[in-house]
Amino acid sequence: MADLLRLISVTKSFGAVRALRNVSFDLQPGEVHALLGENGAGKSTLIKIITGAHQPDGGILEIHRTRVRHLTPAVARKLGIACIYQQPALFPDLTVAENIALRLEAASVWHRVRWAPRQAQAQALLQRIGAAISPAAEIRSLSMPEQQLVEIACAVGAGARVVIMDEPTASLTQPEQRRLFTLVRTLRARGVGIIYISHRLEEIFALADRVTVLRDGESLHTCALADTNEAALIHLMVGREVSQIYPAAAGPAGRPRLELRELACAAAGVHGINLTVHAGEILGLAGLVGAGRTELARVLFGITPADSGEIRLDGERIRISSPQEATAFGIAYVPEDRRRHGIILEMPIAHNMTLAIHRQIFRGMWLRLGAERRFALDCIQTLGIKAASPSAPGSSLSGGNQQKVSLARWLATRPKLLILDEPTQGVDVGAKSEIHKLIRQLAGEGLAVLMISSDLPEILGMSDRIAVMRGGTLAALLPGHAAANTVMTAALGAKENT
Amino acid sequence: MNRPGIKTALLRHETVLLVVVVLEWFCFNAMGPSFGSLDNTFDLLRHSVGIGLLALAMTPVILTGGIDLSVGSLLGLCAVLFGKFWRDAGLPIPLAAAVTLVCGAAAGGLNAVLIARWRLPALIVTLGTFSLFRGLAEALTHGVDTFTNFPAAFLFLGQEHWLGMPAQAPIFLLIAAGVWLLVHRTTLGRSFRAIGYAPEGARYAGLPVSRRLALVYVLAGIIAAIAAIIYTARLGQAKADAGTGYELLAITAVVLGGTSIFGGSGTVHGTLLGTAAIAILNNGLVHARQPREVAGMLTGLLLILALAGASLPKVLAQRWPRRQNAPH
Repeated sequence: MADLLRLISVTKSFGAVRALRNVSFDLQPGEVHALLGENGAGKSTLIKIITGAHQPDGGILEIHRTRVRHLTPAVARKLGIACIYQQPALFPDLTVAENIALRLEAASVWHRVRWAPRQAQAQALLQRIGAAISPAAEIRSLSMPEQQLVEIACAVGAGARVVIMDEPTASLTQPEQRRLFTLVRTLRARGVGIIYISHRLEEIFALADRVTVLRDGESLHTCALADTNEAALIHLMVGREVSQIYPAAAGPAGRPRLELRELACAAAGVHGINLTVHAGEILGLAGLVGAGRTELARVLFGITPADSGEIRLDGERIRISSPQEATAFGIAYVPEDRRRHGIILEMPIAHNMTLAIHRQIFRGMWLRLGAERRFALDCIQTLGIKAASPSAPGSSLSGGNQQKVSLARWLATRPKLLILDEPTQGVDVGAKSEIHKLIRQLAGEGLAVLMISSDLPEILGMSDRIAVMRGGTLAALLPGHAAANTVMTAALGAKENT
Repeated sequence: MNRPGIKTALLRHETVLLVVVVLEWFCFNAMGPSFGSLDNTFDLLRHSVGIGLLALAMTPVILTGGIDLSVGSLLGLCAVLFGKFWRDAGLPIPLAAAVTLVCGAAAGGLNAVLIARWRLPALIVTLGTFSLFRGLAEALTHGVDTFTNFPAAFLFLGQEHWLGMPAQAPIFLLIAAGVWLLVHRTTLGRSFRAIGYAPEGARYAGLPVSRRLALVYVLAGIIAAIAAIIYTARLGQAKADAGTGYELLAITAVVLGGTSIFGGSGTVHGTLLGTAAIAILNNGLVHARQPREVAGMLTGLLLILALAGASLPKVLAQRWPRRQNAPH
């Protein structure tokens, strides 16, 4: 076998925490090797060792059948290892060609810039991966998937033999995903080895040849995907059967809670929204990225206030012109971008949890630190948040636990309407089903839930009714038991024939 | 697990600073008898109140991730306004002081509108008002007019003793206590930090970001006006150049005190220690018969050393494991 990469019994500790224990892993040319595991299972650490960002404490690392002792990021790049992260690391103000050149050209003080070959090289690389992007476009003007393509072009241009993709489809729509998959298959056909990290099992089954499951820093199992199934993999990841993935609906919905009539906001690009959400109902909001779902949520939360139309909450007509007002009316919004909007990373967990309820928990304006700590401990317990202490910073938590802190902050406001934007994106399987149970339980208590999600199984599994958005307006309103095809067809605006 | 780590780190910065302050004190004391005398201690206190007040005003501003370069100029403008209200408008001292405070608040309000409402960058806005306020002060006095001959009862505030200390010290302590409570014990202080760490995150949490930002700049204006009145009382005269360069010393004191220039983290007691470190250094060097330039150089060195010292553990932590791994 001509291994591209082989790790034998690799160990890595951070202080007292053993991030990796005797992990073995190998990558063959022309294969897609999926890496699977809950958040905190050691995937990121493993990737960082392969890219030279971390040094292993023990074990052997071989690249192209040669033992490598002191791998640095620069050496890893030279050896043909490239990593495409969730958030592309490009310079937003430079053009595509300049970004590619920065990666590929050798830097030196007297380096002469030849613009025409640069442009031509970028053009050639983009063509090779089948991307319709102009080399002269500024990165800032590109969408997230387009930026990902530029990253891939860089990797191809650098002659990468090992390409690592970390949750590449997290923010992609389905057609974009399909295009990415085609590209991954092209790379594979050229003999490139691809390490593919994703939480979406169906993707892994569609794309990967082999899979390695990590749990608690150990590589449990490597096998061909043909020899396994979803249930077995989930079992390996969480170490227990996840029997009921989606909790059942509680009962019939109550009175109309939120009513929208001809709601429009030019700045947000949404118009003609007519929608009712009932108490006790989970309304799934489906659609492609850019269909206006998050934008609608931002209108309802007062970040970009509506220009025209009507918003009624419990029958009363209201105007929402700021997040403070929305909060006062009883509208809560758990945003999509956890790390920028959902929580404040540097702040202690307890402070994050009370940020929206200062008036309620602190009489007058004086802090009551004891009461705050008790409240936080209470939330940590009821939501099952894995945190060292209420005063640990938000950045110390895993993605799923950060999401729970964000959720705790808004549940504390005792909202009437809870808007969830991609509530389980990047959350591992175990925490995902806990969050689902929690959402269902809250709806059972009479809360109206508007749940935006790009995860189709989640929409289908959780929703009592499904609203589909397309081009800034509502395209369809479907029952909760609608078929996946029907939802996708509405989202794409295609005629139903498949 | 993180808690003791962060806490000790914070503690370390302020304890280190305390040690520096104490060391400074003993060094200068050893150099000559005049430094440690009660007279000089009081003199030192009187001189540091001006910068100390501006540093207190600056702390909430920097916590929100902002900066206020205009406070020194505002001190000058308020001193001149105070003199005008008293001498030219014939207002009694207490009323003149009250109107001056209102003017300080209004000047801070100008910064607040531009920064909080119009969302212009604080550095540029206050760089503009820095020139504007000083220019106004000079225009009002035609660059030469000086206000003197204040009544003795007013000069008491700046030159006499009260409660066994310089009369301005209790006022300073009161304001310091007020700012400490504001920053460390109220929801307002909590929102300043949230805004400093993540302005967008604070907005998504439903915090009234604009109003909170406006508050810190208006408060800075009011405190600058108070500083102007005390400054005038100490010198017995009000001139357009009062407080020149104070804004930079105030920022130095705040940053030396461990407040992050990027906003979010920092303490008021750190600011007080930072002020003390600068004040003692300046006063001590005068007593050691060193030229003034040395004071400037050493203040700069102290700031750089303090910042380097604070980030040294981090740098070492990043370097060290690599070296340990090298002999593998």
